[in-house]
Amino acid sequence: MKTTFEEKDGKFIMHFEGRLDTASSVQTEQEMKVLYDCEGHDIILDCEKLDYISSSGLRLFLALLKVAKTKGSKVCVASMNDNLRQVFAMTGFTHLFEFL
Amino acid sequence: MIPQSLHTAALLETWRQELPQLEQLEEQASAMLEEALREQNIQLNTFQHRIKTEESLTGKLEKKGYKYQTIYDITDLVGIRVVTYYTDDVDKVAVIAKKIFDIDWKNSVDKRKHQLNSFGYLSLHYICYLKKGPLRKIPFEIQMRTALQHVWSAIEHDIGYKGAVKLPPEFVRQFSRLAGMLEMADDEFSRLRTTMTEYRRQVQSLVRSGQFTEVSLSTDSFRQFLDLHPFDRLNQRIAAVNQAEIFPAPMMQYLQVFESFRFKDLGDVQKFIEENSEDAYQLAVSQLAITDLDILSESIGLQNLCLVYAIKQGGGIYGIKAVYDAINGEQDSNITLAEDVLHQAQQLPFMHK
Repeated sequence: MKTTFEEKDGKFIMHFEGRLDTASSVQTEQEMKVLYDCEGHDIILDCEKLDYISSSGLRLFLALLKVAKTKGSKVCVASMNDNLRQVFAMTGFTHLFEFL
Repeated sequence: MIPQSLHTAALLETWRQELPQLEQLEEQASAMLEEALREQNIQLNTFQHRIKTEESLTGKLEKKGYKYQTIYDITDLVGIRVVTYYTDDVDKVAVIAKKIFDIDWKNSVDKRKHQLNSFGYLSLHYICYLKKGPLRKIPFEIQMRTALQHVWSAIEHDIGYKGAVKLPPEFVRQFSRLAGMLEMADDEFSRLRTTMTEYRRQVQSLVRSGQFTEVSLSTDSFRQFLDLHPFDRLNQRIAAVNQAEIFPAPMMQYLQVFESFRFKDLGDVQKFIEENSEDAYQLAVSQLAITDLDILSESIGLQNLCLVYAIKQGGGIYGIKAVYDAINGEQDSNITLAEDVLHQAQQLPFMHK
């Protein structure tokens, strides 16, 4: 699992690549901490190269959403494949995020 | 007799010497009033306080300095302005002011009562004193008015019309018409608030007593209904499959789905839960049981109830997509989700009844 962070046009963007499962979630959690300081910046989670997300991965996204909400920032999930989108749909979390 | 200019200069000098006391009074009185208003939960448009500036005081003394023997004959050296949203709240603020301060009734004015023939600058002014302490002999003024009265006053000031100026009758008439309109709007807003509060109380009591068919479906009634946690049992059943944690999520957007289902009252919602819970459970489990997903949204039960209902209504893929569109916002990918759900549902008993 690999993540890359960039700041572009005032937005915080994190690119995910690989499988976000229990094994990789501890490391990814640390890497996502940079997004927590998001006051004044909307966040884009680019999932184009994300192949799989487990409950641990969902928890990371939900934890980020909670923090971003208190800071008035939007969290958008971009370029998610159908399998990932189905995970969000079957757990009932689709309406919490904005999908691009 | 002291010449006017000397008298004005003497009063101004006293004002300068008294300034630290006035600042203390401003701080103390405004803090007391603000705290008391907060305790009573009164929503304010504006809460302002100020000390009269030297420039404004000089202007006042030059015009009518002869009226004042001492500087404290001027009662608005310290001023507090409270602007409420509703007329009823002006009276509430007044009651609170009366409770925490001593009022000089001789110099206080209720302009709302005095100007029976016009709206104009309707405002309630109290001249007050602290009840105790070293500053209790210094007067200060509290102005209380609604936001619309405040706007009127600001526009009146901008136009430069103060009533005293002789205006052609057609302008006076236009002022009166606008004034009447604002006064009616103020009263109507207050009346509307009272009616809505009463409606909410009725809805609350009907929902609590379970008389769902008596309660029309609305934002208020649905919110009250959600407070009863009507989907908890179904959520827990679904969660048990993977020993999942339930994550809190908003559910108000489902009101739109119910409207598209043409539900009229909470009775319809209750019936929908009773008639579809088992099938919603089957649908959710058919998707989740083959995964190890152990975190679910609080809306999981409600989402599956809506999907099942849409399928049973015969809406097919587009009926299911319409549910997803209402929940997630319109997106092309909702069609893929709809296809998956319909495919999954086809294996379930309710599709073969």
